[in-house]
Amino acid sequence: MDSRIESVMKRGRGYWFVDGFTEILAGILFILLGGITLLSGIVPPSSFLSQFISLAESAAIVKFLGLILAVLGLWWLKDRFTYPRTGFVREKGVPRSQLLVFLRNAVLIAILPVLGLIIPLFFIPAVRGAIFSMPIWFPPVLGIFWGALCILLGEWTALRRFRLLGVVILLAGISVGAWQLSLGMPNVPAGALRANILSPLPDVLWAPVEESLNRALAGVGLLTLLSGIAFAVSGLATFLRYRKENPVPYREEL
Amino acid sequence: MSEPLRNLSDLDRVIHEPARLLLVALLSSVESADFLFLLKESGLTKGNLSVHLSRLEEAGYLRVEKTFRGKIPHTEFRLTPKGRSAFDQYRKDIGSIVNPKKARG
Repeated sequence: MDSRIESVMKRGRGYWFVDGFTEILAGILFILLGGITLLSGIVPPSSFLSQFISLAESAAIVKFLGLILAVLGLWWLKDRFTYPRTGFVREKGVPRSQLLVFLRNAVLIAILPVLGLIIPLFFIPAVRGAIFSMPIWFPPVLGIFWGALCILLGEWTALRRFRLLGVVILLAGISVGAWQLSLGMPNVPAGALRANILSPLPDVLWAPVEESLNRALAGVGLLTLLSGIAFAVSGLATFLRYRKENPVPYREEL
Repeated sequence: MSEPLRNLSDLDRVIHEPARLLLVALLSSVESADFLFLLKESGLTKGNLSVHLSRLEEAGYLRVEKTFRGKIPHTEFRLTPKGRSAFDQYRKDIGSIVNPKKARG
């Protein structure tokens, strides 16, 4: 009985995603971010496109404005398309206490792994080896993290497609890691492992570090691009189904 | 009277009616919703939905708010704190009837 009540409650929670717009917009943003990251590693540095990409990469204000515009566009679309068809829902606000706990946990989740890598760098040379192998382990870890978030969202809203998306993103992360592994492990010069971490590395030691970082970035870019495509396809399919089920705005029957 | 039967007779009759239970469950997961959303999600007729919403409002479980979205008049329904606690209590009560061992444990 209670599980049936719970499933009705989940319908209310998942209503925001009923039309697929959120996934389509998230997908487009991910495709743009992933595409820019990937292209920045491929396009020759002196070309016109590379100038454009480096501008897009560095201009944080453009990304911020893009995000604000996307959210405003989402509200506008829902106001014009969704609410006249299947009704308006005001989502539950998060209480300030819960929001603070969430922010604290998010900051800890973001900072702890970074600190966990940076602090041992000073003391344990083997950890630097782990940094060099970032292209292989970072995309799968990120894929597992994003995939888990999607699966949790699917549980929270009882929307099966989010669970499926979670699995797709998780597999994409693992595949990107496997692709990087197939390219071979980046070279780890012994000098780089022993060098004083606060002093600048000589060019001959810096090159493999740069290669490793670039490969990791390319992996993350590819994962972001694949996740964006998955989101966009899922959103589009949801939108088409929603439009088929609700072709016209609701009208009072006379 | 055995305990489960006593619990059964103590159930909140306003919420226990299936259509109203559906409406309260839907509204409990959101801040507020309009008539069209409740109509589409519940599958009730407009007349039936109005009657059940009025019954919930009479019991003090629901508040009707007339607002504007842009220039269009808009009616939203939201559970009152009394309605939310009644729904939480109902879930506990029904849980203790359906699964008394779990409720006691």
